[in-house]
Amino acid sequence: MTENPKRLPPINKEEALARIGGEEEFLNELLEIYRNEFQKRSAELKKAISEKDFQTIREDGHSLKGASANLSLPALRETALETEMAGKNQDLEAARKALKKLKAEFDRLQKFLSQKG
Amino acid sequence: MEEERKEETSSQKYFPILVAEDDPVARRLLEKKLKDWGYRVYKAENGEKAWEILKQPEVRIAILDWMMPGMEGPQLCLRLRQVKKPHYTYLILLTARDTSFDIIQGLEAGADDYMTKPVNFMELRARLQAAHRIIELEDRLLQAQKKLIRLATTDSLTHAWNRGTIIKFIREEIDRYLRGDRPFGLLMVDMDNFKQINDTYGHQAGDTVLQNLVKLFKRNLRNYDRTGRYGGDELIVLLPGSDIYDTGLIAARLLDVCRKSKIRLKTGQKISVTLSIGGTTTDSLSQVQINNLIQTSDRALYLAKKLGRDRVILFGDSIKLEMTEKQNDRKS
Repeated sequence: MTENPKRLPPINKEEALARIGGEEEFLNELLEIYRNEFQKRSAELKKAISEKDFQTIREDGHSLKGASANLSLPALRETALETEMAGKNQDLEAARKALKKLKAEFDRLQKFLSQKG
Repeated sequence: MEEERKEETSSQKYFPILVAEDDPVARRLLEKKLKDWGYRVYKAENGEKAWEILKQPEVRIAILDWMMPGMEGPQLCLRLRQVKKPHYTYLILLTARDTSFDIIQGLEAGADDYMTKPVNFMELRARLQAAHRIIELEDRLLQAQKKLIRLATTDSLTHAWNRGTIIKFIREEIDRYLRGDRPFGLLMVDMDNFKQINDTYGHQAGDTVLQNLVKLFKRNLRNYDRTGRYGGDELIVLLPGSDIYDTGLIAARLLDVCRKSKIRLKTGQKISVTLSIGGTTTDSLSQVQINNLIQTSDRALYLAKKLGRDRVILFGDSIKLEMTEKQNDRKS
């Protein structure tokens, strides 16, 4: 897979560290919380899509958007916003695409962090 | 990088604060920051839990996420403003959205402030300082109000209830009685030879004796009884729930403890005083009105004086009860 230069970075670490006060250890703790939350929400999203539960799709998207913004994860933040909008617009196809993209972006983040670590 | 300032003002140390946020990342982040700043942090991940914590009186600052499962931030604000808490609770709403419509909606629901997410912590800290200013202002206002109420309702010399207030309590007790609740007794207490104390030891001594008498009463009465200063050296004692029998016993006890106690004057001298007490009770009167109660007690007090002081006389419509030092006898 070739990197799209216009693609948003998985994490803006400088910014995230600045926001939380500079402690790398604390950032790792928050990322761990994020991972758990992401797994929970993406499972919930999958179920919500199969049940056409647009309210839950919207809420999950909204919540992931906030969590991503807090940790300066621009790519995930944007995809979470797409998910929220799909829920709001009751667009099942867009929700499916968004979920797929969320998972891809999450994997990219994991990979990026393990490379760095 | 944001400079950590670890020092806290005393008002912030362990100050309880609620963080209601369903996103665990934001929740943990806020928790850590607030703890670093010295707060005692309560956390809630949904609206219902937030509500339970918000209701607690000691929680006076809350950071509420706009969108939460259960109950959303503005709903919480609205609901809190409808209940009566002993103190004001300062509410900060967090919102991912930042259109002016949202701001107005949030403030109209009762929020004091709002912040957009992700939270800038320097800004949050500054906004919390504003919250503390409001809270301290309210505390001072309540203290001043409390003091004013005390000044307006009590007698400055003895700290007994003042005349207007004890009369108000009697009226309330009459209302309760007339609704068929419980009887009550009323005593008019007058110190024997008060003029002589003032003449012999000076007016300051008279003040000291009065102050001590009120203290003595408070110690020997039930905590729901009320002592008021009716004027000069005359006190009124209101005895809720007491019929004529109980009222007689209580009055005799006051007579007795007063007689036995020695009051120490500022000059070091110790003196004893005796009391004359006149009283009546609602269960012994057919006409329960404030004037009737006070006049009847007054007449009883007058008789107690006339019969030689240091005694209790209780009047009803058809009874007269007398108790003196030597014999706690009853005549009818």
